[in-house]
Amino acid sequence: MVGMVGRETLRSATGIPGFDEIADGGLPTGGVTVVLGGAGTGKTTFGMQILSHSALEGTPGILVAFEESGERILANVAGFAWAKAALGKVVVLDAQLSHAIEHGGEFDLMGLLAMVGATAAKHGARCIVFDGLDVLLGYLGDAVVVRREAFRLRDWVHASGLTAIVTAKAGAPDPRIGADYDFLQFLADCVVTLHHRVIQGTALRFLRIAKYRGAPHSSNELPFAITPMGIEVAANTTIDLTYPTSNARVGTGIDRLDSMLSGGYYQGSSVLITGAPGTAKTSIAAAFAEAAAGRGERTLYVSFDEAPDQIVRNVASIGIQLAPHVASGMLSLVSLRGHAESPEAQVARIRAHLQLLRPRNLVIDPLSALSQPGDEANRESAARQVLDLAKTAGITIVNTSLVGNALPLAEHTLLNVSTIADTWMHVSYVSHGGERNRALTIFKARGTGHSNQVRELVLSDRGVTLADVYVVEGEVLMGTLRWEKENEARRTRIAHHNGAVLREQRAELALAQTRAQQDTLSRAQAIQEAELAQLRADATIEVDRRAVEADELLLRRRADLPDAVE
Amino acid sequence: MTLRLRLYVADDAPNSLTAIANLRAALAQRPAGPVELEIIDVVDDPARGLRDGILVTPMLVRLAPVPERRILGNLRDRALLLEVLGAPDGTA
Repeated sequence: MVGMVGRETLRSATGIPGFDEIADGGLPTGGVTVVLGGAGTGKTTFGMQILSHSALEGTPGILVAFEESGERILANVAGFAWAKAALGKVVVLDAQLSHAIEHGGEFDLMGLLAMVGATAAKHGARCIVFDGLDVLLGYLGDAVVVRREAFRLRDWVHASGLTAIVTAKAGAPDPRIGADYDFLQFLADCVVTLHHRVIQGTALRFLRIAKYRGAPHSSNELPFAITPMGIEVAANTTIDLTYPTSNARVGTGIDRLDSMLSGGYYQGSSVLITGAPGTAKTSIAAAFAEAAAGRGERTLYVSFDEAPDQIVRNVASIGIQLAPHVASGMLSLVSLRGHAESPEAQVARIRAHLQLLRPRNLVIDPLSALSQPGDEANRESAARQVLDLAKTAGITIVNTSLVGNALPLAEHTLLNVSTIADTWMHVSYVSHGGERNRALTIFKARGTGHSNQVRELVLSDRGVTLADVYVVEGEVLMGTLRWEKENEARRTRIAHHNGAVLREQRAELALAQTRAQQDTLSRAQAIQEAELAQLRADATIEVDRRAVEADELLLRRRADLPDAVE
Repeated sequence: MTLRLRLYVADDAPNSLTAIANLRAALAQRPAGPVELEIIDVVDDPARGLRDGILVTPMLVRLAPVPERRILGNLRDRALLLEVLGAPDGTA
């Protein structure tokens, strides 16, 4: 331990996003960091990511592989973004003891450390990972010897000046030595523990710096993820990525709701949907999630006490299909246990998911789950923190909140969230005519011209729709009564329509009759004119005939002819 | 048949010194016969151990007769050692 003081002030950056921030700059340079965790918790990835970072910085690192072959380890991490450029510069020493090796007595690490030291000197390495040291130590078969060799390694590291990472399985006792490897914590300068828990079908990984000799560090358990970039620790207390604020509207997934809100929710705003149990708050939220994911926006849906597949199944029955978006990765469903954890822990989890997923939209269903009875002081702040987190990151957040069916304005159970929500919709049951129907009202829509009208929320296998409601003598009509009213209106429309057609036909008939009459008259006129002409002609002939006859008579009565009269 | 052995040791590490002593005692115990023994100090010649893929010491490798056998440790297990070297009754 002597001579450690000066060295401990130095840090070696790990290059693991988020880790160096919580570790005050990195791992202790020239010290031993022990990484403890169960199988599959990411210990080897942790080590390889540090070696790769070191290699990319121009300093080759050494991997001493005790559990798996170096070849296999390199293959396992080959998919990470940094692997291609870095892995070729990592010096791999295979130190597995194959099954073909027989055990004929006690051994030690002296020869190994001599060879590792020579390799480090040859390549100018600064960083070394002993991966799966517990596997080698297990062959020592004696807890006392195991400790002695572990301390030998620690002293060797300190003397070498190398920054060492030792990974080992922790927790489960090793039957070969009759103990576990938790004692490694005592010899280490820094201890990082990794574990994962499956919470309601969601695997969550956590990292904790259990010890950091002589250095300030965060000892909180922090969520981390293994992404294509490797390990990413959710260390920030704020979310750095910020979507630019905009006045853009995002569709709610319900056409008529978009109309009521002049186009949809404001991007980056907070929406609160309140209502009694069963008022379809989840359906409204899920409709938004479906629409958002369908637009190609990453969406995080946090539910409490309801498993993801349960939500998918439930909303599928009303035509909201979340499964394809979960499959495409656009939608992440996360289920948290409402009563299992404190509101602060839940806020931390939501924050971690936001940091890791960096979604454009967040649904919390219901936000009221963050307010457990008995922690009055925290309940409002927990919900507020989530809204603030989303807001600072420009994430559109849609929350549901459970309230009684009484007038919500009078309720204090809303955590005063309604005051900071930008849009507040309430769904209530309206009982009338022996039915209970769902009425949606927009109480508030900041900066939006919104409809003040109540709409009936109708769920069918084609999704969520809104229907007009009828107000008759001050009563809002919904359900069957609305349907009857709609039918009545339809009948009236049809009647009006039919009447108009008849009137038109009648007018056409009258016109046709008039035209026919006109035609008849014209024909009669022609005939009469013809007759008249005939009569006149006949009359002229008669006069002529009489004149001729008169002449003939005169002629016969007198022998002489008067002067020509013709 | 020649018994060909390699013993990888680490300088004056107690287990290495014990392994050398145990090996010599066992060889003395078995019937006389041609023996080739190479003792490699990986502290002195680390490249040799790395090249041969022997990273943990002490390690005895019996190269001949085949099949090759490897015994890890200070060779305290005399029965195993004699069996690998060829039992006192002369069987290999």
